[in-house]
Amino acid sequence: MSSSSSQFKQLEKLGNGTYATVYKGLNKTTGIFVALKEVKLDSEEGTPSTAIREISLMKELKHENIVRLYDVIHTENKLTLVFEYMDKDLKNYMDSRTSGNSTRGLELSLVKYFQWQLFEGVTFCHENKILHRDLKPQNLLINNKGQLKLGDFGLARAFGIPVNTFSTEVVTLWYRAPDVLMGSRSYSTSIDMWSCGCILAEMITGKPLFPGTNDEEQLKLIFDIMGTPDEQLWPAVTSLPKYNRNLPKKEPKDLKKLLQAHTKEIVDDQVIDLVTGLLQLNPDARLTAKQALHHPWFGEYYQQQ
Amino acid sequence: MTREHKNALRILMKSPVTDDMIKFLTHTTLNVLPNINNELPSPPVSPGNSKESKLPSLKTFITKLVRYTNVYTSTLLTTACYLKKLQRILPKDANGLPSTIHRIFLACLILSAKFHNDSSPLNKHWAEYTDGLFSLEDVNLMEVQLLALLNWDIRIKEEDLFIDLRYLLEPIIRDLEMSAQRKRHYKQQQQQQLLKAGPLTKDHTNSKVYNQRNISIDSNLSSLTLTESNSTVSLHSSRSMSTLNSRSSSPLYAKPPKSYVPNINQKVRRTEASESDWDLEDIMAQYGF
Repeated sequence: MSSSSSQFKQLEKLGNGTYATVYKGLNKTTGIFVALKEVKLDSEEGTPSTAIREISLMKELKHENIVRLYDVIHTENKLTLVFEYMDKDLKNYMDSRTSGNSTRGLELSLVKYFQWQLFEGVTFCHENKILHRDLKPQNLLINNKGQLKLGDFGLARAFGIPVNTFSTEVVTLWYRAPDVLMGSRSYSTSIDMWSCGCILAEMITGKPLFPGTNDEEQLKLIFDIMGTPDEQLWPAVTSLPKYNRNLPKKEPKDLKKLLQAHTKEIVDDQVIDLVTGLLQLNPDARLTAKQALHHPWFGEYYQQQ
Repeated sequence: MTREHKNALRILMKSPVTDDMIKFLTHTTLNVLPNINNELPSPPVSPGNSKESKLPSLKTFITKLVRYTNVYTSTLLTTACYLKKLQRILPKDANGLPSTIHRIFLACLILSAKFHNDSSPLNKHWAEYTDGLFSLEDVNLMEVQLLALLNWDIRIKEEDLFIDLRYLLEPIIRDLEMSAQRKRHYKQQQQQQLLKAGPLTKDHTNSKVYNQRNISIDSNLSSLTLTESNSTVSLHSSRSMSTLNSRSSSPLYAKPPKSYVPNINQKVRRTEASESDWDLEDIMAQYGF
């Protein structure tokens, strides 16, 4: 890690991350485009913990489906992270394909290819004992070759060593798991798998599955579709800090009907089975990333090999 | 790593900060730059330059930081891994001002807090915790320098903790191993008893001997503990565990040990897996959870 800022030409602004501004950049020596993530250093805070985690964790994560961190340039009032350049994120890609007011999902073959790459990236994180904790379409970057890569590790955390409890202020609300919404601090890899389920449904229909505006409404939206949890399905649920005993008992809705309403293609039983496996209310019952990769919906990829 | 190793690490990380831990960290920090001897009095300073004369001993400095920040044991102990890394990186004859070791320790603690916790103090607050020894600019600079020295490799693996904290882990591992041995012994006794099919007397049931090294037991802990274990509990620990952490200064609460033969049939039906939980729970109770 030894670049200087003069090596890069700063081009147009690409967007605002959780704690930084991202610009397109050009490496003047190699002629290769990069993404420059600029973190303003606040003297009272010192180096932000988000940057410390993102840099130290992403340095180790070298995988095809994770955005590569090339370099870090630390100056007195600014920290610049030099990343692999990606054309857009999954959110703008989906938006660009929506014509007028009618929301439309992606073709199922593309959904499958993106979801597969998402699971590859998440499996690699989890094998390296890292939780992403902010998976959502905006943080999944894609390029013109159809590659999908995980980005923005500002909320990521290492797990597996006996350190402290975790915060519940993680993951963007729409993609936050019900156990975390109910105050669980002992979450692990299953927190990312819930987000993967929400993303899969969103790619199929073109709209977010649980677009809540606050914690309470978010849980209500989840239970309306997935059913209200009880002790039989999820034994530990009643001991969660924010468990509400008085919630109306809802039965799970038919996911197939629900998703089919928003797409012209036939939504088959296998993809519904996968979504259901990811959106298990009980975190212990959710599929792992590795299991998801072996789901029969991806069977055609195995046959090709 | 054995099960005892993993359990010992969990126990250590959940125990309150002890004087022993502070001594260990002081020693580890001093070893990073052995050429600077903090414990000897510094030479007299020029008149008007009062900063150096205020320099507290490293141990006092660490003790105060722990007290002010109420830092988690795990965050505090993980600094040992950064200190050991630095020791490997820095040249053996590296030198510095007497306050350099204070800077090194503080920077390691700040990085540990920022990496391992979802919320941690700002550098502004860390500067305040030094009682005027370092300014905010000093703190910002030492953080940046440490990040550069470590090349942003801040992640600590479980193996690093086992190696770098072995001095603190070994007594706990020995306790756990002894406890496992006692349990095996006790199980054999039980089986013999069952073969004889005679009724069990209370004497046999309380053969467990508590090893109290590094354990502080509040004098008002339960009388239950004492009576149930037939006065085999020693309340005097060889190494004191003075609690520095105000969070843990609430009265130590320990569950009374489980009654050892409440029900013979139930005991016999215990599976291996549930025995391991039982064992940890028992030891955790001894350590005051």
